[in-house]
Amino acid sequence: MVNYVIKRSVYGLIVLLIMISFVFIVMRLVPGDVVALQLSGAGAVSEEQIAQLRSELGLDKSVWAQFLDWTKNAVTGDLGKSLWSKMPVTTLIAERITVTLQLAFMAITMAILIAIPAGIYSAMKRNTWIDHMIRVIAIGGLSIPNFWFALLLIIFLSLFFGWIPPLGYQSFFSNPIVNLQQMILPALVLALSLSASIVRMTRSSLLEVLHADFIRTIRAKGAKEKLVIMKHALRNSLIPVITLIGLQVGFLLGGTVIIESIFSLPGIGSLIFEGVTKRDYPVVQATVLVYGALFMIVNLIVDIAYGWIDPRMRPD
Amino acid sequence: MEKSTILSVDGLKTVFQTRHGYVDAINDITFTISQGETVAIVGESGSGKSVTALSIMKLLESSGQIASGQVLFNDMNLAELSDRKIRDIRGKQIAMIFQDPMSCLDPLYTIGDQIMEILKIHEDLTPAEADNRVLELLKLVGIPDGETRRNSYPHELSGGQRQRVMIAIALACRPNLLIADEPTTALDVTVQAQILGLLKQLQADFGTSIILVTHDLGVVAEMADRVIVVYSGTVVEQSGVHELFSKPEHPYTEALIRSIPRADTDRTAPLHIIRGSVPGLHEMPSGCRFHPRCDYATEICTQQEPPLFHLESDRSSRCWMKDGSLAKEFQHRLNTDNLDSRHPAPPNDAYTASKKEILLEVHNMQKHFPILKGILSRKVGAVKAVDGVSFEIFKGETLGLVGESGCGKSTTGRLILRLLDITDGEVKYGGINLAEFKGRQLKEQRKKMQIVFQDPYSSLNPRMTIGDIISEPLEIHRIASGSEKIRRAGELLEMVGLSSKDVYKFPHQFSGGQRQRIGIARALATEPELLVCDEAVSALDVSVQAQILNLLKKLQGELALSYLFISHDLNVVKYIADRICVMYLGKIVETADSETLFTNPTHPYTRALLSSVPVPDPTIKKERIILEGDVPNPAKPPSGCAFHTRCEHAKEICKSKIPEFKQMSLGHKVACHLIN
Repeated sequence: MVNYVIKRSVYGLIVLLIMISFVFIVMRLVPGDVVALQLSGAGAVSEEQIAQLRSELGLDKSVWAQFLDWTKNAVTGDLGKSLWSKMPVTTLIAERITVTLQLAFMAITMAILIAIPAGIYSAMKRNTWIDHMIRVIAIGGLSIPNFWFALLLIIFLSLFFGWIPPLGYQSFFSNPIVNLQQMILPALVLALSLSASIVRMTRSSLLEVLHADFIRTIRAKGAKEKLVIMKHALRNSLIPVITLIGLQVGFLLGGTVIIESIFSLPGIGSLIFEGVTKRDYPVVQATVLVYGALFMIVNLIVDIAYGWIDPRMRPD
Repeated sequence: MEKSTILSVDGLKTVFQTRHGYVDAINDITFTISQGETVAIVGESGSGKSVTALSIMKLLESSGQIASGQVLFNDMNLAELSDRKIRDIRGKQIAMIFQDPMSCLDPLYTIGDQIMEILKIHEDLTPAEADNRVLELLKLVGIPDGETRRNSYPHELSGGQRQRVMIAIALACRPNLLIADEPTTALDVTVQAQILGLLKQLQADFGTSIILVTHDLGVVAEMADRVIVVYSGTVVEQSGVHELFSKPEHPYTEALIRSIPRADTDRTAPLHIIRGSVPGLHEMPSGCRFHPRCDYATEICTQQEPPLFHLESDRSSRCWMKDGSLAKEFQHRLNTDNLDSRHPAPPNDAYTASKKEILLEVHNMQKHFPILKGILSRKVGAVKAVDGVSFEIFKGETLGLVGESGCGKSTTGRLILRLLDITDGEVKYGGINLAEFKGRQLKEQRKKMQIVFQDPYSSLNPRMTIGDIISEPLEIHRIASGSEKIRRAGELLEMVGLSSKDVYKFPHQFSGGQRQRIGIARALATEPELLVCDEAVSALDVSVQAQILNLLKKLQGELALSYLFISHDLNVVKYIADRICVMYLGKIVETADSETLFTNPTHPYTRALLSSVPVPDPTIKKERIILEGDVPNPAKPPSGCAFHTRCEHAKEICKSKIPEFKQMSLGHKVACHLIN
């Protein structure tokens, strides 16, 4: 097991290296230049000024040399400074990542708590009106854009209950009550759209397993339906469900920009967005690196979960 | 001695809801079973035998339900019992074991846990008591080293061991009645013999009654006291096992018994067949359900369904012939009955007349599949699927290749056709090394060698018409195209006993036996010289199997074909093959012509294999050599003679030295140290 994790981590580092070199080069290839952007407000600019700024920002060296410098520093934990605010990138990310992680964690937990029981119930009551209802709602959840639903929810709550989430982000550790009030709505909105696909996956996977031969063996033992479903069928149907959840966590880490901006949460999504538009190379590189690492970790957890569920998938 | 009846099924009818409305899966099933008795329910696929078993336990899929009739167990009608009450009976008083032990155990829990589960459901035991019971049960079903084995997962066990676990689960609460649904069908014969022996012994120890659901008449003769023969969802005959085999009353039973090839079946005569195939649930014939396939059928059979006539010595038969007043109707048919003249097939002249010219010669052929491991896919070992095999096939001859699953017989077939590349050794076709063929030459060569597969369902593309399927080889080899192609496809269909009008139909419109005929027609399209039949009749019902075997013999006579006939069924191979090779763990252990092999089997493995086959005759109680354990892992074959781990005669030399292939008499070779 330990060997397996080590092996996977080594693979992960290789993938990260490939990924980051790709981002490094592509960022410098796209049209638009951070130097030009920073000097654009200054009116007439001389060649010397441009060259000076370029060398201040360390952009006068070759791409290859820049990459080596950056990698050397990154290994020691220094991911560089923002080309605009001059703040260490690590500090910027640290401020933001907690918001995104908390949001992702709350959303996925709520999604699982809603979707898995609904999926089981839907499968057990197959082809009854309640099954049809759950499926219709799930289809709705898949097709309604979550930002639209988020806006609707804010309007509804303020109109009928006169309640709006408190403004000015507070971290969970400084003020848990305000923090939860701010986070609950975006998390719920995300959870609802995530749970739609999890419900469908749970239902179909469970139905497939319920037709397996071993389920008949368990019924022939005289087992109650609860034992059949909760102990045997559910566990056997979890593999595709977990795969899906793993993918969704990845999506949550990067794809929450719109929800973050609707609820004015300072998450990492908006950081990378600004970074790209302002050509703030160190910020983009570092956030991509963090994303990549998080993705690897989530995947590793999913793979370990496979083995935990299914003895046949345990690494030797 | 009259024993008390423990279960009586009366007029049971089960229906399934389908898109075309309700269909009867079984109709009017009636039988009883007494304490300690074994009743076999025998029938072909679709006869409703499994549905009967599941109906008793109320374990039907949600689309099925019991429409009428009763199932009396200890004066309770199980058919009307609530879900809660039937659960107390399931596993505790009536237990069930299923066909495929691969898929019948939950892959995610250890076997100990799955045995423990049933004890927890029905009995109030302390954890320590339950632990002891699990170990006791594992010991009882012959799984050694229970203390560690209980922590194994199903995928870590062999098929035979899994079936033992299933039996342990079934017997955990000492049920009065055990329903065994095809318990040994998925197992090799040597393992089947172990499991049947185990069931018999446990029955003797505990006095359990067994309902044995099976299609295998050999197993019936071996195990049953009484037999219920079902056809198309009804009981057609009910009888004691001895009477059934000595004097079957129903024409279906009679035909069924006659259509199985046995060790003493005359190889030169065609097999008795039952024409047509088992009707589907939607196309049930009027009157007697068997009449379209019955040799004796008359007017009344086509119109009215016969009742179950009760005969002497507690037998019954659902046939109008048993109605005394109709005896005259059938008289002339019985007199003129001469099955042999009606289904003629010529003996294999091609082989006997030929001067024994060698068509294919295999010398020391090997196929090792590498086992790869780690990041760089290093080779850490090899599965020696075929490990030095030599034989030859003569023109017009059928060479049988028998062995248990995993012995390398299918790989051998594929290597000969160059569907796989050989690791070492050589295959010479008409004197030329097959490995030298490349590109166009190889394509040209492929015309001469074709294959018929086991599963007639998955080996035909469901989206293609029969005409396209059969004529595809014609197009690939540019033999014919356009209307000529379709005409040729029609011809081929006629040749295998189908109609040339079938070219525009799709595979799903045919039964299993008909599909296998289509598979044969496709193989014959390029006019090959050699046909590899890889378990070509194994997936078919007995009555249809005989049709296909006769067809293969007929075609061989007409087209001078050579066959490599690969099968696990010794009696089938005995019937069709001129010579037989017996394989064990990638090696041939004995080769002989089929008469010699059966009358004078020499290698201990061949002897055990032959003795394991159940004989469809209850009067024969043959001495059985039970092989211990399972076939070893081909990645780590035992040293020396690969069979020594299971051989009762094994000596020191067998463990260290690989035995040579010794000539016993002309054409009879054996690889064993014990033979001088």
